[in-house]
Amino acid sequence: MSLSALLSQYGDLYLQALLNTWRLTALCYVGAFAIGIVVTVLRVCPVKPLRVFGDFFVQVFRNIPGAAMLIILVYALPRLKIMLSYEMCVIVASVLIPSAFCSEHLMSGMNTIHPGQIEAARALGLTFSQMIARVVIPQALRSTVLPMTSLAVGTMLTTALASQVPLRPNQLELTGVVNYINSRAVGGVLAFAVSAVLYVSTALLIGWIGATIDRKVRILR
Amino acid sequence: MTQRYPAGDVPVIELKNVNKHYGDLHVLKDISLSVRKGEVVVIIGPSGSGKSTLCRTINRLETIDSGQILIEGVPLPEEGRRLAELRSRIGMVFQSFNLFAHMSVLDNMILAPVSVLKKSRREAREEAMRLLERVGVADQAKKLPAQLSGGQQQRAAIARALAMRPRAMLFDEPTSALDPEMIGEVLNVITELAQEGMTMVIVTHEMNFARRVSDRVIFMDGGMIVEENTPEAFFSHPSSQRAVDFLQSIRTPEAL
Repeated sequence: MSLSALLSQYGDLYLQALLNTWRLTALCYVGAFAIGIVVTVLRVCPVKPLRVFGDFFVQVFRNIPGAAMLIILVYALPRLKIMLSYEMCVIVASVLIPSAFCSEHLMSGMNTIHPGQIEAARALGLTFSQMIARVVIPQALRSTVLPMTSLAVGTMLTTALASQVPLRPNQLELTGVVNYINSRAVGGVLAFAVSAVLYVSTALLIGWIGATIDRKVRILR
Repeated sequence: MTQRYPAGDVPVIELKNVNKHYGDLHVLKDISLSVRKGEVVVIIGPSGSGKSTLCRTINRLETIDSGQILIEGVPLPEEGRRLAELRSRIGMVFQSFNLFAHMSVLDNMILAPVSVLKKSRREAREEAMRLLERVGVADQAKKLPAQLSGGQQQRAAIARALAMRPRAMLFDEPTSALDPEMIGEVLNVITELAQEGMTMVIVTHEMNFARRVSDRVIFMDGGMIVEENTPEAFFSHPSSQRAVDFLQSIRTPEAL
């Protein structure tokens, strides 16, 4: 099958798959970021049980393979009477695992904050939560734009888990679409190559956005 | 000392038998000190004498092992909101300025008045500009701290502390990180505050400034208050040998 034949027959499907990958990536990244921030605040808060919980959360989700996570969500949750759609299982896995990495990045970002910044916030009478919200998290975020950019690419790759669950053709993302095509036609390695180009292009776009943001928000010292 | 106050006049800052250890090192030994309203107390001493630590215990940036610290007669709470509230009444200026690096100078100024004192942004901004004007950096308000010189940053940091309308100000070696040509501009601001009657505790190595600005000099060595006297008496007739040695050691370079 030539490239032109492949694209003329499955071009629309690839486009749909690209959009699905983008949608899943954006959704999961936002979710991972929100949970990552909350977990990080727990990990540094003055209440010990919450700190322990935060560390535990990160250890669990940082060390579980995506495929194993997906199996647990698809096969184990129904036994607990929790029924999620296949796509939702993929989303949950692609939120939780990156959220652990997001928290690790934030923790290392916090380590770059000069202790004097914290002392100044305390000396001005800011409460713990005001200090976290106005000084610590903003500075940690500004110093972790590049790792957070890698995290966005990593999240995109994690969404390929969707290829491992049965989905309707219009729900397929870039990896699932290759399986779909190759089970119906002889796309061969070319079918993979098209998805690969779309993945790489997206990663380059994310990288460019990240570098631009980094230049804007990086803290001058 | 206490007898000098009129009856019922509560000291702004009072330390009673404060002790602190870093491991085996006894850094503050039974320190008692009170600062009454409008008084300028300068703490001097060799490095490692505990003077910075003492300054930082007053708003509990350093914890203490025993003793008591009272702010306007109220004991410093251990942690939490009440401690934050008490801290907001004491301004602090650091050696390394510590302006929030990710915010403009103006945002630095209004953060605490808005989030701690619950002032409106507009009111806080007006007050901030007035204070920045006063310390001579109003034209830098929109810039980030890193774009300012050290002297400008320190003056902005003093203005930031003043924006909380503090009852007292603590200065922890405010000019030690500055290039020599910028020391004067910062000391001038502090001197003006002293003349306006601000209650202050100042840790410094600037002896001429200490002599000029203070009502009382505290000389520390080895974690203890060795001598406590008026600046005139201290600098012309130090009574302890350690103070004599210290003053000698810092005068030597000029003699060369």
